[in-house]
Amino acid sequence: MLIIECPYCGPREQCEFTNGGEAHVSRPSNPEEVTDKEWSEYVFFRSNPKGIYFERWVHSHGCRKWFNAVRDTSTDKILRSYEIKNDKPSPADLEDSNLTTPSGEPDVGSGNFTVKKL
Amino acid sequence: MTAQNNKDVTHIAFHQSINFTFDGVKYRGFKGDTIASALIRNNVRVVGRSFKYHRPRGIYTCGIEEPNALVQILSEHNEPNTRATIKQIYEGLEVESQNCWPSLENDLGSINSLLSPLFSAGFYNKTFMRPRGFWKKVYEPLIRKAAGLGKPPKPFRTTSTQLHHHVDVVIVGGGLSGLLAAKSLAKTELKILIIEQDGFLGGILKNSNKISTIENKDNKLWIKELEKKLEGLENIKILKNTLATTYNYINHLIAIEDRTTGTLPLDGNVDQILHKIRADHIILANGHIERLVSFRNNDLPGIMLAGSFEKFIQRYGVIPETNPVIFSNNSSCLSLIKKLIDLNCKPQAYVDSRSGDKIEPELLKIIHKKNIPLFTNAHIEGCDGKKQVQEISVRDAEGIITKLKSKMLCVSGGFNPDVHLFTQSKGVLSWDDEYLTFKPDKSFQNTIVLGSNAGIFQYSKIVNDINTKLSFLDHEPLLEIDLTLNDTDKYSIEKLWETKHEKESRWSKSFIDLQNDVTTKDLRQGIQEGFDRIEHLKRFTTNSMGTDQGKISSINALGIVSEILDKKVSEVGTTIYRPPYAPLSFASIAGRGTYDFYDPERKTSIHEWHKKNGAIFEDVGQWKRPWYFKSHPEENLYEAVQREAVHVRKYAGVLDGSTLGKIEIKGSDALEFMNLMYTNNFSKMKPMSARYALMLGEDGMVMDDGIISKINDKHFIATTTTGGAAKVLSHMEEFAQTEWPHLNVFLNSITEQFCTFNISGPNTRLIMEKVFKDIKFDNENFPFMTFGNFTYLKSTVRILRASFTGELGYEIYVRPSIALKLWEDLFRFGKDEGLIAYGTETMHLLRAEKGYIIVGQDTDGSVTPHDMDLEWMIGKNKKDFIGKRSLTRTDTIRSDRKQLVGIKPIDPNDIIEEGQHIILTSSIKPPVKMLGHVTSSYVSPNLGHSFGMAVIKDGKKLIGSKAYVSSSSKGAFEIEIIKPIFIDEENKRLVS
Ligand SMILES: [Zn+2]
Repeated sequence: MLIIECPYCGPREQCEFTNGGEAHVSRPSNPEEVTDKEWSEYVFFRSNPKGIYFERWVHSHGCRKWFNAVRDTSTDKILRSYEIKNDKPSPADLEDSNLTTPSGEPDVGSGNFTVKKL
Repeated sequence: MTAQNNKDVTHIAFHQSINFTFDGVKYRGFKGDTIASALIRNNVRVVGRSFKYHRPRGIYTCGIEEPNALVQILSEHNEPNTRATIKQIYEGLEVESQNCWPSLENDLGSINSLLSPLFSAGFYNKTFMRPRGFWKKVYEPLIRKAAGLGKPPKPFRTTSTQLHHHVDVVIVGGGLSGLLAAKSLAKTELKILIIEQDGFLGGILKNSNKISTIENKDNKLWIKELEKKLEGLENIKILKNTLATTYNYINHLIAIEDRTTGTLPLDGNVDQILHKIRADHIILANGHIERLVSFRNNDLPGIMLAGSFEKFIQRYGVIPETNPVIFSNNSSCLSLIKKLIDLNCKPQAYVDSRSGDKIEPELLKIIHKKNIPLFTNAHIEGCDGKKQVQEISVRDAEGIITKLKSKMLCVSGGFNPDVHLFTQSKGVLSWDDEYLTFKPDKSFQNTIVLGSNAGIFQYSKIVNDINTKLSFLDHEPLLEIDLTLNDTDKYSIEKLWETKHEKESRWSKSFIDLQNDVTTKDLRQGIQEGFDRIEHLKRFTTNSMGTDQGKISSINALGIVSEILDKKVSEVGTTIYRPPYAPLSFASIAGRGTYDFYDPERKTSIHEWHKKNGAIFEDVGQWKRPWYFKSHPEENLYEAVQREAVHVRKYAGVLDGSTLGKIEIKGSDALEFMNLMYTNNFSKMKPMSARYALMLGEDGMVMDDGIISKINDKHFIATTTTGGAAKVLSHMEEFAQTEWPHLNVFLNSITEQFCTFNISGPNTRLIMEKVFKDIKFDNENFPFMTFGNFTYLKSTVRILRASFTGELGYEIYVRPSIALKLWEDLFRFGKDEGLIAYGTETMHLLRAEKGYIIVGQDTDGSVTPHDMDLEWMIGKNKKDFIGKRSLTRTDTIRSDRKQLVGIKPIDPNDIIEEGQHIILTSSIKPPVKMLGHVTSSYVSPNLGHSFGMAVIKDGKKLIGSKAYVSSSSKGAFEIEIIKPIFIDEENKRLVS
């Protein structure tokens, strides 16, 4: 279980939170004017990177506040969490953003090897 | 017939006899014995049959790694797959062997052994594919009878519980390294938890003969003194009989504590505790596990790992056999040979795969001195015997076979650091060329690995290693510790995974995985068939997939595979070790969360009244809602609903709607927010009026519905479906916080602050006028979809004129404290007007007659308002609301989407069933073209026939035409497609 830092309450166990998918996906301010494709991008499409990922969480069994977090999806390390109103941190500002996966596996592919690949 | 007691042990009470039964036969052991040690004391060698071939099997090890000796505990709700090498006996314990049919001695299943070509690698995937249909009728029943591990337990109530710990340091393993680590950390301020799987501390100091004194003290005394010191410290806690099973992310450990070791679990007492531990640093000092060597018939009862044999002597005070043959490829059997000699039991022979110049001089010296027959450069070719070892074949360097008559063979194939927890933590392993095993290399978390668990197999290096690795914790460095060894300081080993065997018969098998009956031949065959990746090979052969997860053999399998593939073992890699380390009962995971504590039950304030008045309840989420009311004990659901439904339309009925979700929306921007959340336009709505409203997801699909009451532009109250309350509130919160944080709006759930009664029927107004004498209920003063706040019993009640039945109706919102009083008043005044209480089933029928949908029943997350014939609810002039843009996507404006229609049978005696398909022909012979399906259906006493709602392709255009509906009793019958409204289309009753 992860420990997640709620910007309002501090570090808490993952079971108090609900994940809300990718962060910084903005809702078109002029829905009437966007094309079907643009609207679908907002409604249906999300990125799924291996590595740095900006995502939303809500402290559902706590203060009920939504916030954003940066997680490295290959290590599950949460590098930062911040209030919704804050700007998206630039990757350069994130310490540890170049963390490698446990076994130093390739950039693409899933799973961790138990033995270091040389 | 040759086991002997060794009374010089501390953990067996030889003065305390314990009686237990194994397969119905009475045996006697001593307090402290495990089932295994007690059976060995009684010279019981065969304790079970193997998984696939039903070969007789004996006790192979003396601990958690046991692959064979799994038993069923009859005296504890038939608990299956219990390790006989762990479970301690108590007076009255009843044990049964597993996989034996009809009995352990005469097992019919061992015929599988003769059919073994059928059961080779991948047999599940290959043998049973043909002929088609045979799997279900022939193969599966046979396999189910013959295979499997144990029988399922009987139902029981768990008495386990869970505890959470937050500490600085966890030390897993209270053996030599763990104790030394604790000793050096004792004076720090760190909060430390020591987890020991046994009932005592000491590990190798007590389980083996390898060390006889430490710091010039007898082992037992040294442990006793240190333990006393540690126990006296505030910052250290020791958990015994506790096994760490799981190492999660962020140093989160799960450990299971057995509280009933050596006793019968008593009802009401906690039998196990699941510890959930979060720590800053985890020290893994959980030692090593001995591995086997594969040779012909290396599964015969009477074969045991050498270290386990030593453990039986040292710890359980039983010498399984006074003159065993010992076979090894490493230095570790020295301590066992010394122990046997000390006990006047001479090994019958010592067989070492190493050449004489590589064998430790100390070992050779003692063997020569005691005249023990020695075979160097030699292998065990195989073993023979009926149900147990009788003859052991030794092949020397020249290939000459010597046959030894013996009943016991001790085998040591070397040691592996028990890296299971380390790899669960995502630590990375590396291959050690000297010790021929995988050992921890790089930690991924704050993990420190000590002692043999770190691959340090040299006593003189332990202390320095601890000092180096713990220095960052400001520990007190340990001084070099004096040990008196019955072992060489440094362990040495030569590669030997499997020996060549000669005798070819169907019975000759060289096993790699004893529990799953996987042979070394299976590994070869698997690779030959293309499964040369270790993860694939594991699944194809089922190697190391048993409950023991191949603890004594998985590294050997990697060794054998590496040789077949001619690769390095490090290139072959290991399969991924997954939690738990050893099986964890579901009962311990569930803890207290069973039966009454499984899920909360929510009851309305009127619950007791419902019970007294014949209500049968249904679960709606966590709520208990009256489903229907029995007017007499024999009345069934159908009869009650028919009666209630007629009665409400004729007189009056009241439904306890308290479970409806209620959300209060307040703030200066409440109006704008509501206009964004719902499809409707609330701007022109008058204060103190209400509206049926629809909520969509951003994909344009119907998500929830409810009635919105507008008190003013800054204050709304929304109702939601019973099941949707939490979801709707979260959905609103999400958008309020993330998309429109500039809007000044506050949301609050008030579901439990108000009870709701839905009263409807032609006589309703008469009843309301009698109960609320000061309120004018006529159409002029109280029109449809308006509400007001009134005083009742000095408390505010809100009354809304609305209806979910299509009849004249009101919703009353009242505080729970006076809700029952009001409910009873309704009946006191309503008695003469024929008021009855009705349940959810009648409510469903009545709303369907009126054509009102239920979100979640008639909708399934893939229908738009247009599909549901609810376009009229969309605020046309609104620039935006959630889901609006999606309603004009090319996919949502298709004309051939499934749309809501009403259906009725042409023959009024036919009954439409929910979930059935709407089709075009009376024939249901495949292929049948399907138009859609029935979402709701009821037999209506008010219409005199069955009817339904359905979603069908292009449904609106098909209204007025005929089709068919499939049926569970008669193929398909004809129906008419009509508008989805069956009663009072003009709303005359609603506004009467
Ligand atoms: Zn919080």
